[in-house]
Formats: sequence, structure tokens, C-alpha cells
Amino acid sequence: MILFSVFSSIALVSSVMVIRAKNPVHSVLFFILVFFNTSDLLILLGLDFFAMIFLVVYIGAIAILFLFIVMMLNIKIAKIHENVLRYLPVGGIIGVIFLLEIFFIVDNDYIPILPMKLSTTYLTYTVYAEKIQNWTNLETLAMIGAIVLTMHKTTQVKRQDVFRLLRMFRKTQE
Amino acid sequence: MEFAPICVYLVISLLLSLILIGVSFLFASSSNSAYPEKLSAYECGFDPFDDARSRFDIRFYLVSILFIIFDLEVTFSFPWAVSLNKIGLFGFWSMIVFLLILTIGFLYEWKKGALDWE
Repeated sequence: MILFSVFSSIALVSSVMVIRAKNPVHSVLFFILVFFNTSDLLILLGLDFFAMIFLVVYIGAIAILFLFIVMMLNIKIAKIHENVLRYLPVGGIIGVIFLLEIFFIVDNDYIPILPMKLSTTYLTYTVYAEKIQNWTNLETLAMIGAIVLTMHKTTQVKRQDVFRLLRMFRKTQE
Repeated sequence: MEFAPICVYLVISLLLSLILIGVSFLFASSSNSAYPEKLSAYECGFDPFDDARSRFDIRFYLVSILFIIFDLEVTFSFPWAVSLNKIGLFGFWSMIVFLLILTIGFLYEWKKGALDWE
């Protein structure tokens, strides 16, 4: 119980600090802290695999992506004109909607009727195999999309044409 | 609980990093360091013309996205490898199909030159 309160309170405070920090790099660091505490909450729930996957995927990949975006944007800290109340109406409405969504989940039963063998891994690769297929298609699409968007035409790498070199070498032998 | 070694590891690494930072704070003389003239950028005596940062290379972002994709592939491979006896032949071949589709994407990016850094 103590651990749950500690982790959840640090997660909440860090998530507030994400939007309130002046330095955007500090925001990303608090973001990482949120994921650390969420991972600890997952350990408390007994889902240790998902906790480690959170650490690896969320912190190790997604937070790094955010960090790269912050590095790319080149924000000068002194020039940010901070007006907190400007986004209050729309942001407040969206925040209240998110809060109300929690009440849909709390006392309702959304878990589907599972087949006989209840292991998650068994289900993932046999019963729900088509869903994983959707994910692989999406990932390949994401790869191709990322390459199409970001490829320079100017990345010329000097390569050796091995067959040409062999032919030239053979000519020197004559 | 079985997470005690992880806790010990975390405490030791936290202690080590705190010591490394704290010792330099403690033993640096504050009279010689950090006055504004010393901290400003040096451009052969002139005032700085422009920001010293160069443009962020977009290839870092591409590397990061590719890392996410193959990291998720590894994430899916972990439970598959653990439960291979239960999912049988169908489960095995379904995962091979997933790996094949990702390999097609990998081949595309290899041939396109997304992995090249000059």
C-alpha cells in the first residue's frame, strides 16, 4: 500500500511537472520519470514482463524520440512567452473528458470470454494471430513512411565495386 | 520478493552517480568558477555572432524509429520463444510470417540506403 502511494504520487507529480517545466529537456526527463513509476506500478500488479517492456520500449525508444524532437526544435528558453491561462478552456474540457472516461472503466467488466487455455502468450500467437498481423503491416508501413519522409538524396557513400577491381587487377597481371 | 537484487542494483548505481556528481560539487573552489565572463561563448574575442548549434541531422531520428520497430519485434519474440511448446506448429509459423514481413521492410531500407552514414 505504501509502495503504491509512493509510485502513483511521484507519477502524478512528474506528469504535472512535464507541462510546467521551463526547460523542455526537463520536461522530457520528467516524462521518463512518469514511465519509471508506471513500470513500478505494473510490477506491483504482478505484470513483471510488461514492466520491463515498458522500460525498454517506452523509456528506451519513445522518450528518446521525444528527446530528439526537443533537440531538433532549438528552443531558446528565454524567449518563451509563458501564458498559462491561454489554453485553459479547451485543455480543461479535454482534461475533464479524460477524467470522466475513468468512470467508464472502474466498475465495469470489459474482459472478453477467453478460450480454454488462458495463457497470454498462447493467445497471442494462435487465437489473436491476425491482430499481430495488423501490427506487422503497420510497422513495415511505418518503416517505409519514415524512410520516404527523411531520406536525403545526398547521402552518397563511397563504395568499392569489387568486380571492377578484380578486372583491373587481372589486367595488371598480364 | 525476488526483486531484491534489482533494488540493491538500483541503490548502488544511484549512490555511485550521486558520489560522482557530489564530489565535484564539493571539491570545486567556487571563487574561481562561474562568473559570467568565464561562462560566455568564446569567438576569438568578438561577441558571439550566432548560436553555435548546428542543424539537427534527421538521420538520428530515422535510426531511432528503426530502433523502435525492431525493438517491438524483439518484444514479440520474447513470449513466443518462452511458450513455443504450447503454441505448436501454427504459432511457430505465424511468428515466422511476422518476421518475414518485417524482413521485407528491412530489405527495403537497406537497399534504399537508410542505414548508410558517410
